[in-house]
Amino acid sequence: MKIVVPIKQVPETSNVKMNPETGTMVREGVESIINPLDLYAIETAIRLKEKFGGQVIVISMGPDKALEAIKEAIAMGCDDGILLSDRKFAGSDTWATSYVIANGIKQIGDFDLVICGERATDGDTAQVGPGIASFLDLPLSTFTSEILSLNDGKIKVRRLVEGGYEEIELELPAALTVVKEISDPRLPTLRGKLKAKKMQIPVWGPQNINADEENLGLKGSPTRVVKIFTPKVTREGEKIVVKDEKTLNEAVDKIMDYLIKKEFI
Amino acid sequence: MYNKVTPEIVDELIEIVGNKNVIYNNFDAMEAYSHDEVAEKSYAHMPDVVVKPSSAEEISKIMKLANKYKIPVTPRGAGSGLSGGAVPVEGGIVLSVEKMNKILEIDKDNLMAVVEPGVVTNEINNVIKDDGLFYAGYPMSVETCYVGGNVAENAGGGRAVKYGVTGRYIYGLEVVTPTGEILHLGGKRMKDVTGYDLIHLMVGSEGTLGIFTKIYIKLMPLPQSKVDLLVLFKDIDTAIKIVPKIMTFGRIIPTSIEFMDDLSFKTSCKYLNEKIPFEEAGAMLLIELDGNSKAELEEQYEVIGNLCMENGAIEVYIADNATTSERIWKIRRNIAEAWKQYSPDQSLEDVVVPISEIPKFMEKVRKISEKYDVPIPCYGHAGDGNIHATPVKNPKFTMEEWLDILHHKLLPELYKEVINLGGTISGEHGIGHKRREFMSMALEPAQIEVMRAIKRALDPNYILNPGKVI
Amino acid sequence: MGEVWTLAEFRHGELSSVSYELLNRGKNLSQKLDTALASVILGYDIKKEDIDELIARGADKVYVVDDKNLENFLVESYANVLIALLDEYKPDIFIAAATTTGRTLMPYVAVRKKTGLTADCTVLDIEEGTGNLLQTRPAIGGNILATIKTPNTRPQMATVRPHSMKPAIPDKNRNGEVIYKKYDESLFKTKSKYLRFIKDESQQVTVQDAKVIVAGGKGVGKEENFAIIDELAELLGGAVGASRDVVDRGWKTYPHQIGLSGKTVSPALYIAAGISGAVQHIAGMQTSENIIAINKDPDAQIFHLANLGIVGDLNEVLPLLIERIKEYKAKEASANV
Repeated sequence: MKIVVPIKQVPETSNVKMNPETGTMVREGVESIINPLDLYAIETAIRLKEKFGGQVIVISMGPDKALEAIKEAIAMGCDDGILLSDRKFAGSDTWATSYVIANGIKQIGDFDLVICGERATDGDTAQVGPGIASFLDLPLSTFTSEILSLNDGKIKVRRLVEGGYEEIELELPAALTVVKEISDPRLPTLRGKLKAKKMQIPVWGPQNINADEENLGLKGSPTRVVKIFTPKVTREGEKIVVKDEKTLNEAVDKIMDYLIKKEFI
Repeated sequence: MYNKVTPEIVDELIEIVGNKNVIYNNFDAMEAYSHDEVAEKSYAHMPDVVVKPSSAEEISKIMKLANKYKIPVTPRGAGSGLSGGAVPVEGGIVLSVEKMNKILEIDKDNLMAVVEPGVVTNEINNVIKDDGLFYAGYPMSVETCYVGGNVAENAGGGRAVKYGVTGRYIYGLEVVTPTGEILHLGGKRMKDVTGYDLIHLMVGSEGTLGIFTKIYIKLMPLPQSKVDLLVLFKDIDTAIKIVPKIMTFGRIIPTSIEFMDDLSFKTSCKYLNEKIPFEEAGAMLLIELDGNSKAELEEQYEVIGNLCMENGAIEVYIADNATTSERIWKIRRNIAEAWKQYSPDQSLEDVVVPISEIPKFMEKVRKISEKYDVPIPCYGHAGDGNIHATPVKNPKFTMEEWLDILHHKLLPELYKEVINLGGTISGEHGIGHKRREFMSMALEPAQIEVMRAIKRALDPNYILNPGKVI
Repeated sequence: MGEVWTLAEFRHGELSSVSYELLNRGKNLSQKLDTALASVILGYDIKKEDIDELIARGADKVYVVDDKNLENFLVESYANVLIALLDEYKPDIFIAAATTTGRTLMPYVAVRKKTGLTADCTVLDIEEGTGNLLQTRPAIGGNILATIKTPNTRPQMATVRPHSMKPAIPDKNRNGEVIYKKYDESLFKTKSKYLRFIKDESQQVTVQDAKVIVAGGKGVGKEENFAIIDELAELLGGAVGASRDVVDRGWKTYPHQIGLSGKTVSPALYIAAGISGAVQHIAGMQTSENIIAINKDPDAQIFHLANLGIVGDLNEVLPLLIERIKEYKAKEASANV
């Protein structure tokens, strides 16, 4: 069983403070981490490997710094890593990113599963996972919440959809994007860290993945950003402090008035 | 022996600090000044009046007035203390320093901050962070406590293994004595042996010897990186034996070495739904390292991690980014909250034993726990031998039964064992009035007599924070 | 100028109301471009009423592919059929809802068509002069908005956040053209197989679909206390949301999680109970129309966002509120008899 896990390095946001003036995140000095939703993909892959044997390869497109993310994934228990890095990749939209990663995976070759996180917490598009599957012509299960079985070249999964779950079966090789429900990611161990430290991670450019230069970076991206702007969302509505029975009743009165006025009841 | 606060005295106080800085005859507003973070209601006491002065001169006048009328004065910081130190047990005046909350100076050339006592401790670090500086004092309540309270309690906390406790960073104090004199002790000088070390007599005096109005704090370069190790051990003994080895074999001083017994981390992990394989572990250490380069820290965590693995650790987890670091610190930080789900009534203790005696201490704790059928999760700062042994009320006891067991049997017994092991009853929370009756267990009579003599010399009328410490 | 297309979502034999929201959006665009608005509906046993309804709601044309092979959503077959349709009719714009189906199908198709796709848009407009589609979407957890276009390839594709626009109002007098398409069996060949749907009772109303969300955070205290949140949500006909802390602790399952690593929602009313408002959480709900926050900590971030903030214990406030809503409803009911 050979499993490829595409991951992305993103800015760490859980400890980020909001700038009260502008209503935006303060991003100075923010460190980079593995996209938190990719951790579930990594965990899923490692568990499958532990059960069925084989190899887990993480692949990431990004600057040199993204090696940190790959090494962290190896410290968690992945076997190998590949970094797709080249100046020509810069400015890629989801189409061009999917193209590069899919070509990288083709180069790895001979894989059974591609497992992606649901989406990245920075770009938030959830398009690269399905994009990779499309380039590789793979059957796909998005929003996968459980792996039910894997045998005879088929994988049976449950996926989270509106109002419940769907079960589908895919022929291998196949692609999954997974949601948080699927697993609890493990922590990197000392042994893993030591192994990752010693490992040489190959860095692939366009020539290593048979990429058509026309499809790379900004040139290969069908979309263009017209502008970026910051919405200001602060309302600072009325605030009532509950101190005793009396103020408690007043607070509940206020909520009732609000609900009635806005016709929620 | 003390006089009541009369409306006339209140008028005089208003004269000193202004009308809006006096709270009188207002139960709701004063209630907040009747207790600190000690959970049990029995330790609370209402003040007669609350005053909020803005300067040393005002405080001096208040103290002179209090001496004149024989009214007790209890100084108060943020009220985040854990020994009842800011509770006006004799009534009288509560003197809150909340208005004195200015950072007066950041002196980058001398690496000193000069602050008023009502500054929130974390605020100092927020202000100097961008200059690459930090203040190493780090009580766990860092986001709410005042630096004045930290100095009064000589607060410890999470970074003491490497950085020591609050007192190490205090180089000068402006102090109003109980009789209303204003003293200027120390300053920005790095060395000073001119006379007795009055600064460190004041540090940790729990508001019984003087009220700080200005504090000189030594600043340090801010470390740029940190790494955390979560190490699982099969038992407490194996875990504790690692602690001195880190320093002797590893030649490394971690920022903190936090210890959790199985009762602590199992409850916390279950509460957090944490899925690391904790069930097979009997003890955990959380070791934090800080430094300026990732490479340097990598070397250090390898040394410590290998040391742990060679000496019987089940597993060593490494957290070198915010996601993983937050995940493992959550286990340590949620112990108290997790236990609250079992029972909200807990007595947070902070006993200290020599590090090597921790396993023996834990055995004694287990025996006491069994004897009274009271769970006592133990966690805390293993690197300092400072353990938060926390008796938690078994829901089967009534409140009355619980308080009786706790105060008359369990705590005295626990303290006795601590002292027999060469330890003491409080490492960072202080004596206040919560542990006052137990002081004589820990100190010899002559010591207490010296303290009394000092107190008499500075506070002849026994006005300042009576009922605390001695 | 090619047509403007919207994807009508047909699941389990029912047309989803999000299809009408898309028509409302599409109408705006097709009018500006002076072109036809069309809906595409794929499925099996599609009812005539549903097709008529799409026309009533604004579709000038409806492309229907009704085939046993399309009974359930599988991305490969759906994508093949769509690509065949796109190749034949060459619409200019193609939008779908950012549902699990839309977010799976659209990227799969966009890759094959080598065209641009913008995810989870909240605003769609037409660029003056060029007629390009301007697609505005929140990124980095709603902290920035980016406007994106696809200048050189067609169709211009976008998924649109559900509830970011009201459904089009039906007009039974409208006429439209219905185009039935049949495709060769080979187009339906997949390497996947649909097995079954399992309904999740706790998701009767999903957070993405709900008009009202009552969300609980760490301040709820413990799992059992969540019953109050559930009850209030039910009383208001809403869905139950949860902060990441709550889901991590296992008090609620992942489908309920709101925030950067959960769902992004924009309901008409969001009640945040015991939620402090970490950046992570705010990112997932700040576009809600009305926000009521209840939290013990007066300095909680959530209050900056709230139209109405109550500083207090939710375990005191909510039970009383529930009682009062029940009284109110009983009074209303008796008044209406």
